[in-house]
This record gives sequence, structure tokens and C-alpha cells, in this order.
Amino acid sequence: MTETAISVERVTYRYHNGFQALTDVDFQIRKHEFVAIIGQNGAGKSTLLKNLVGLYKPTQGNIVVNGINTRDISIARLSTKVGFVLQNPDRQLFANTVEEEITFGPRNLKLEQAEIDRRLEHALEMTGLGPLREDFPMALSAGDRAKVVIASVIAMQPEIIILDEPTTGQDRRGCAQIMDIAKDFQNRGFTVVVVTHHMALVADYAERVIVMCQGQKLLDGPTAEIFTQTQALRKAFVMPPQVTQLAARLQPQLGQQGAVLHTKELADLVARQYFSGKESSIQ
Amino acid sequence: MKYYPGTSFLHRLDARVKIILLLMLTILVFMTRNFPVLAVIFVFLLLGWKISGIPMRELGGYLKLLVGLIAFVVLIQCLFQRGETSLIDPILPEFLPLVGGMGRITVEGVQFGLLLGFRLLVIMCLMPLVIMCTRIRELSLGFVKLGVPYRIAFMITTALNQVPLLQDEITTITDAQKLRAFTVFEDGTPLKKLKAYPTLVIPLVMGAMKKSMLIGTAMDVRAFGSRKGRSYLHDIQMGRADMVTLVGMILFCAVLAAANYMLQR
Amino acid sequence: MAEIMVRVENASFRYPNAKEYNLKNINFEVEKGEFLVIMGENGAGKTTLCKVLSGIIPHSQEGSYFGDVTICGLNSKEHALSTLTQHIGIVLDDPESQLFTTEVLDEVAFGAENLELPVDEIRRNAQWAIDVVRMQGYEEKDPTRLSGGQKQRVAIASALTMQPEILILDEPTSQLDPIGTLEVFQVVRELKETYHMTIIMVTHKSEEIAQFADRVLVLHAGEVLAQGTPQEIFRNQEVLDKAWLAIPQASEVCVALEQQGIALNGFPVVLEEGVQQIGQLLNGARKEMGA
Repeated sequence: MTETAISVERVTYRYHNGFQALTDVDFQIRKHEFVAIIGQNGAGKSTLLKNLVGLYKPTQGNIVVNGINTRDISIARLSTKVGFVLQNPDRQLFANTVEEEITFGPRNLKLEQAEIDRRLEHALEMTGLGPLREDFPMALSAGDRAKVVIASVIAMQPEIIILDEPTTGQDRRGCAQIMDIAKDFQNRGFTVVVVTHHMALVADYAERVIVMCQGQKLLDGPTAEIFTQTQALRKAFVMPPQVTQLAARLQPQLGQQGAVLHTKELADLVARQYFSGKESSIQ
Repeated sequence: MKYYPGTSFLHRLDARVKIILLLMLTILVFMTRNFPVLAVIFVFLLLGWKISGIPMRELGGYLKLLVGLIAFVVLIQCLFQRGETSLIDPILPEFLPLVGGMGRITVEGVQFGLLLGFRLLVIMCLMPLVIMCTRIRELSLGFVKLGVPYRIAFMITTALNQVPLLQDEITTITDAQKLRAFTVFEDGTPLKKLKAYPTLVIPLVMGAMKKSMLIGTAMDVRAFGSRKGRSYLHDIQMGRADMVTLVGMILFCAVLAAANYMLQR
Repeated sequence: MAEIMVRVENASFRYPNAKEYNLKNINFEVEKGEFLVIMGENGAGKTTLCKVLSGIIPHSQEGSYFGDVTICGLNSKEHALSTLTQHIGIVLDDPESQLFTTEVLDEVAFGAENLELPVDEIRRNAQWAIDVVRMQGYEEKDPTRLSGGQKQRVAIASALTMQPEILILDEPTSQLDPIGTLEVFQVVRELKETYHMTIIMVTHKSEEIAQFADRVLVLHAGEVLAQGTPQEIFRNQEVLDKAWLAIPQASEVCVALEQQGIALNGFPVVLEEGVQQIGQLLNGARKEMGA
């Protein structure tokens, strides 16, 4: 039995103005998982994330991170367990150099210099920002700015990292680099939660998908399973990636089980079918 | 501070009347040294809030934000305003250079401090009331019809419009910092807070600069300022009620000014 | 031959503090009723090109500018931005910053008000624009409270009230969910098909490009790297590698099949083509089997 990283227990959240953004949301995220949360703009995803990191406290229900209720711990302490990469990097950068930006968190934790240096090097190594360490963060490209924010969260050494639409406004290279950093983080034994509208990235990187719709959890399951439920997804205003739709349309001919998530996977299926057809015709 | 939709008398009142009233009362508040005059204006404004139908807690919200500032102003005035009648004797002897006589609190100082504090309080009741009862476009058109150039009127009103968004921006930035274990703004000493301001101000200013450049471009491509005049989809008309109110308000302010003059002597 | 709406000749531009030219000697034309997409990596010069096309450069942005842009026969250097903007509207990349009034109708009417048009005409234009972007019923709503997709549609309507013949959209869907994205593309298609508008859009979304666009122009390091139909561009491996372009997944499958020595009867760029061509391939194999 794997351990639970985050436990969301029947959480309802209501804003001061009375708007109820979350209704009775309940799920567990296990350690070492890579989970994507998807859904329409305004479905409650960002509110949910802010609850996960303690910025908001549930109106009803509880959120337990690594066994600790978010109500019983300061945000500063919690930030060493769960790291949060906010949507817009520009609101999070203020230092004169990339190094200064990355060490800001560890310095706030009053760590020893040797430890701060170690964390800096580690964060630079994971994000490939080494050559830019002396640069002015705000003058970097959109892709590099996003990476600086991720590096500064990694430097807090959290066991869970949460990313809110990290690939918005990024080009293909930026998207791939950011998601690869997240994957690397998971491969080192940690937990990743990402909110995104980019379904192809969900299919390529996430093992599990949670679909939010109007403040409620609509679907929750392995990625391949979720992307077969076209009807329910439509209700949440999302569509499976094109390759999944393509494979579903070809299912009568290919005869595969479940959803196809990657283009390579579909090509292999088609090739196998094609060659087996050829072979049997030769015999 | 944002427009609070409603249909009250104050909401329907022509923006020009509200702007003139705002100006007259502001001048009065800053001219007067009399508590009774300020008290009358204060009560008048509370009545205004009642009429507007805007919940009092909205006003309470603003005052809560500013209570510290008001207290600070009162305190500074009490401590540093010189006067004749000592209330508390100086802690430091008079003959010392610079700091000599510090710690002395005078009756005049306290009075002046309280006066300034009261003025601030009254202004804080006045400004949000006018802004929350008037659509931004009406406010801007009101300024234009009173002779303010459209460019300037537009800038004033757009700046007002940006205030709530700025508040959101500050929340986002401080949230991002809390998430990096930066808690000085919550539990730091005043000196530490002061030192930490750049971490808040830099992203805010950079963001604001970027944004104002974008807004500038967005305005340019929509022909802002390209013609001498301008059409207005929603015009404002002075009605009978507006005229009557305006005359009434001018009289009210005149009486207050006269009372102020009498009391001053 | 179709009418040329936009002609760019030897356009170069450098921002005041930039070391290098951000655009280098750009040349191309856009025909009436065409839907042109500009693709390229971040930093390739896409937004700068939009500014050059709309007349923001040289009128509202400082820097060194050379070359000529002709919009509906008007050289952009010689006419005021307010004149150009009645021919070529632009929706900037950040919807938040271009909404600065407090009601949708005011927002949409803003440009026409500045042009001092008669109030009746403003009302008519604004209502038409709101109808086109399907925001009826939102006239009195606060733009800052709308969803991302709605904000973007209001921004489009704001450009439309000035009744331009050409519309430029700079990454209009980058913050939108898949359905919001589709809605924006559908609105744009309607502008093109029903109102014969010329569309120039910057976007990375290859699947929508394949479905909606007529032509793609690829920018790389400030230069035009390639131009062609979506088919031609997505097929050109050299261009794709150099400019790091994403291609539709249907095309990716085709490329992966080719690597295994299987050729499809064509190069699919949209879902339907993929279904049809792969279907054909498999049926062919089965038919051979049956024979």
C-alpha cells in the first residue's frame, strides 16, 4: 500500500462574497503519482490548488498533506512540504539575479549557507538554468522565467510540487522543457500535480486525471480510462487529445482496448495491424 | 473602491452634481479647524451612505484599512506639534540640540492631531461614497462636461478602475512570497517590513509598467485622442431633481462655510 | 487575381535596447479573405510583426523601423494610426490589459466613440460586433469578471466595431480551455466566411491551424523561414525542426508510420483525413489479405 501525499476530504470552499467555488470534493493523491487536473476555465481548479497549499482553508472538510491538516500548520512550514508554482511567473520574480531568486526561499528558512548553496546547485541542475545564474530574471524569455519560478520552488525541497497552468503562453520547446522538469521531479521519488488545458501534455505525462466541472469532481481515474469517456468530458468542456480521438474512430479496424494516448503508440498499432494483414495475404 | 450597482437617489444623481459636491466638501474639510463643522459633514455623509443603500460594512471595510494610518497621523501630530500648554513635560531636556524638548505633549498638539485624524476620517467617508455610487463612465463624462479635457478625465477614471485590480495583484504577489516561507509582512518587525518592501514593490511596479504600456497601445489602436471631440454612447442629462439638489448642496456648503467663519473668530 | 490587402516590403525593426534586429527584411502579402497564421518560437518576432502590420509600429512604439507596409493601399508610415485602425483591427495578446472600461457595451463602443461616429451608428456597430462574438446578454456585465474565453471575445468585438476589413489576433487562445479555443476559432471563421474579412493570427495550436487556416507563415529569429499551406508546412521536416513547430497529432502518426516504412495515401493534417487515410491503409491491407 503506497502512502498518501495529499488527502482532500469532502472539501467545500466558499468565497467571502458567497460564491461557492468547490462543492464536496474528495480524493487522495498517493506519493510518487503524477496527477493532472483538467476542466473548463472557472471550474474551480485554481481554488482547489490554493486550498492544497494552505493559501485558502476549506469552508467545510479538511485537507491533509503528509499527515498534517493544513489548518494546523503555517503556510511557511507547509511550503517545505508542498511547493506551488503559480500561473504567472511575472508576479513571483523580484530579485536581481537568478541565483538570488532561487535562494530567496531557503534564506527565509534560515538554512546554513552550505545547505543553501547545495539547494541552489540542485535547482539549477534540475532546470538547466546554470548558464543563466547571474542573469536578471525579469529580462529572461518566457520559458526561462517559468523555469526560474520552478527552480525557486524546487529549492524549498518539497515532496510534492503543484503547477498551475505552467505551459500557458509557452511554445513547443518551452512546454516540453517544463513538463520534463516535472517528470524528472517525479522520477526522483516525489509527487506532481499539474493543472493544464493542454490535453496532449496530459496524455504524455500524467498517469492519473481528475476532471473538475462546476466546482465538483466529475471524473477521476487513470489517464487512458478518463480519455475514453468522451461524453462526460464534453460536459466539462474538454476533449481528449487528437490522437485519442483518431484511435477511437479507428477502433473497429484496430480492435484495441482502451484509449490510445501517444502518437507513437497509435503508429505501432496501425503498423502491426498493417503488417499482419500483409503477412496473411502473402501466406 | 468599485462601483456598487444600485438605483438609489445618489446613484441616479447627475455625476456633475456629485463631483461638485465632492469638491466643495473636500475644500471645506481641509479649510475648517472646527470640530462641530466636521461633525455636521460627517453626519451628513453617514446619511448619504444610508440613502445610497450600500451596506455599511463596505464603509467599515475601508475604514478598517485606514484606521492605522489615521492613528499614526494623530500620534505623530500629538508628539511633534509644538504648542503652549504642556500636557506632559518633555522627557529630554530642552537644551539638547535636535532632540531637545522631545516627548513633550501639548494640548494644542493633541487638538491638532485629533483634527487631522477627523479630517481624514471624513474624507474617507466621502470619496468611496461618490465613487461607489457613480458608474465610471458617468464620472468620466461628468468631468468632461465640467470642462476637464477628455484625456485627463479618462486617465483619472481608468486609474480608479485599476485600483481593485491592483489589490488582486498585491494578494497574488504576497501569496507567492508566503509560499517561499517569506512571512515578514505577517510577523516581521516594522524595520524588517520596511526592508522587505522592494520584494513587493518591484514585481508590482514592473507589472504596472508593462500593463500601462499595453493599455496605452490598446487605446491607441482604438483611436483614442484621434479626434478633437468624441461621441458618447451614454449621455448624461441634468434633470430638475439634479438642479434642485445642486442648488441645495451649494446652499448647505455656504451655510457651513459661514458657520465655520463665525466659529473661527 | 485576388485583391492584396496587406503588403510588407523589406520591413525591419529593432526595439530601442535590443542588440539585434527583431525583424529582418520581411516580405510577404496577404490576399482579401485569406486566413493567414503566423507561427514560430517565442522570441521569433511574431508579436513585433503584428505591431508592424497594424501600424502600432511606427506610430505607437519606439525603435528603428525600415521598409514599407501597405494596408488597403495606405502606406502605414503616411497615415495616422486612427485611420489605419479602421482598416486593420488588432486584438493584443493579453486580454486583461485591453479591457479598461466597466461594462462590455462601453468596451465595445470605445473605439467608435473616439472616432466621433454618430451615436446611432455606434450602437448599431457595437450590437453587431457583440452578436458576431456571441456575447448577447452580456452588454452590461463587467469585463474583468468574465471568463477567459469571454474576455477574448469582447476584445475581438472591440476591434470589430471600428469595422475593419482585416483583423489581427495575437495568440488569442493561449489561456483558454479547449472549448474556449474552438469558440474563438469559430468566431474567426464566421468573420472570414460571412463577412469576407481577412484574418492574420499568431498561434501555436497546430490542430486548429490545420482545420481553419489557409496559409502559414513561419518566423524564425526575425526572418521569414517558410510560407505555405498548413499541409506544406507541417510536411516540411527541415522547417519544423528549425523552428520547433508542433504539428497535429494526425500528422505525427503519419510521420511515425513513414519511419516504419508505411506510406499513407496523402499527409493528414486534420482528424477526418487521419481517419480516412489510415482507414484506407488498413482496408487495403485487409483487401490484399482477402484476395
